[in-house]
Amino acid sequence: MLEINNLNAFYGSIQVLWDVSLKVNKGEIVALIGSNGAGKSTLVRTVTGLLRATSGSIKFLDHPIENLPSHVISEMGISHIPEGRRLFTDMNVLENLEIGAYPRNAWKNKGKTLEHVFQIFPRLKERGHQLARTLSGGEQQMLAMGRGLMSEPKLCIIDEPSNGLAPMVVLEVFDIIKSLRDQGITILLIEQNVRHTLEISDRAYVLENGRVVMEGDCATCLASEHIKKAYLGL
Amino acid sequence: MEKFLDVVIAGLLLGGLYALIAMGMSLQYGVARVLNLAHGEFIMLGALSTWTLYTVFDISPLIAVAICGPITFVLGFLIHRTMFRKLLSSSTNQGIFESTSMLASFGLMYVISNLAFMAWGPEIRGYSYLMDTVSIGGALFGARRLVTLGFALAIGVAFYIFLSRTKIGKAIRAAAQDPATAGLMGVNINMVLAICFGLGAAMAGIAGVLVSMCYPVNAAMGIEYLTVAIIVVVLGGLGSIPGSFIGGFLLGIIGSIVSFIEPGLTVVAYYAIFVILLLVRPKGLLGK
Ligand SMILES: Nc1ncnc2c1ncn2[C@@H]1O[C@H](COP(=O)(O)OP(=O)(O)O)[C@@H](O)[C@H]1O
Ligand SMILES: [Mg+2]
Repeated sequence: MLEINNLNAFYGSIQVLWDVSLKVNKGEIVALIGSNGAGKSTLVRTVTGLLRATSGSIKFLDHPIENLPSHVISEMGISHIPEGRRLFTDMNVLENLEIGAYPRNAWKNKGKTLEHVFQIFPRLKERGHQLARTLSGGEQQMLAMGRGLMSEPKLCIIDEPSNGLAPMVVLEVFDIIKSLRDQGITILLIEQNVRHTLEISDRAYVLENGRVVMEGDCATCLASEHIKKAYLGL
Repeated sequence: MEKFLDVVIAGLLLGGLYALIAMGMSLQYGVARVLNLAHGEFIMLGALSTWTLYTVFDISPLIAVAICGPITFVLGFLIHRTMFRKLLSSSTNQGIFESTSMLASFGLMYVISNLAFMAWGPEIRGYSYLMDTVSIGGALFGARRLVTLGFALAIGVAFYIFLSRTKIGKAIRAAAQDPATAGLMGVNINMVLAICFGLGAAMAGIAGVLVSMCYPVNAAMGIEYLTVAIIVVVLGGLGSIPGSFIGGFLLGIIGSIVSFIEPGLTVVAYYAIFVILLLVRPKGLLGK
């Protein structure tokens, strides 16, 4: 579904991604893990057109997308739920969700999609007219995810959804991500919470200093000495 | 006391114009991040075009609103699509864009104003239209000024409804807060920015039509209105559209009171307010 090949990316003159290749197949949850500053967010920012790679290719459903603007990529069916939630804080919950359905086809179905999103996140329904910035951290993450679902995406890229949330809420977020996959949404999940992530994912990529240092199915990763030492604290 | 009320009403009439002018500038800065120094020139274009339409083609200024509004919109839209978009894509960050775009708009100001001098010459132009007076609470006011206020209010309200209810209006608000994320949601950012710049230009163009109904106009008038726009935009809070709307009326009332006491001091008072604001409350009335 998503195929990234030999991607190199820079911020100014500093190279952040080195020859990164990554693949996400339909129906999978693929985990992208790595410590702070490894380049995970940079990688997904190049996928959704927020940053241009200097070389390499990105294909979505076999179409090259590396030169497309963000809004076209969103229309094609990739939803990027960004790090730090990036809600429209001066707009209320409903308006945030509506903007999520901005692509033309999604806009037509937004009534129905909204019902569906409220089923997944009942608390958003109660908070409908509240400004996004008055929500709790957990609710804000729910809103960011709900907003990301409003475009009826084929692929959801979720960047550090559990960051800054209470342990109980973290579990809830992971449960929801698992249920999204069961509804047929393919997921690329970026996380620092390595254990939970590897437990719900099918395959994983480990990014260190802008390079993919390991890839494979999650069971293998969980058993790897390197992962145990570096990410699981064992 | 009655005299005071007259002065306040006169201030509201002037304030409507200021509010409209500043709202346009605020939209261009708040969303498109261009502090458009050519804003006054769009007002001048609206004003002189209306003068030509009325005195040469006998087209009423009220109809000129419907002509100049769309034309200045398209002009602003195209200027953004070409010049500002190019600057935006070559700027590595927002700060750089804000300074290069301001310099570019400074150049644009000279280009437009020189073209206008070639087209209309330096003469001061005026015409008489809607010269009836209306009595409000005993004081007499020109009907044309009331029309001006009516337009300013109607455009302010219509614009508010546009922003809060329509799909593109919501996209504009989202883009003002976080353009990159709005893009992720499927909003075509370059299009939204060009539309905002065009709408800002149209507000200036329409304001120009209204100005020409009440005051003499010429090709050099832009700078005077640019100054007012900048003061009101700072007063209301840089980039805050409601702030500009309220700020416009506030400055209109202040201007009216000062000119009642001592007409020569009006402009001085504007500058004094500007400087004091920058020192005491740089974020303005409703700024963040
Ligand atoms: N906007 C930026 N400008 C310059 N450098 C950046 C920017 N964003 C991130 N970086 C740098 O790029 C590297 C990778 O960052 P990032 O992709 O955010 O890592 P991760 O998401 O894995 O924590 C880090 O060294 C970070 O300091
Ligand atoms: Mg990150």
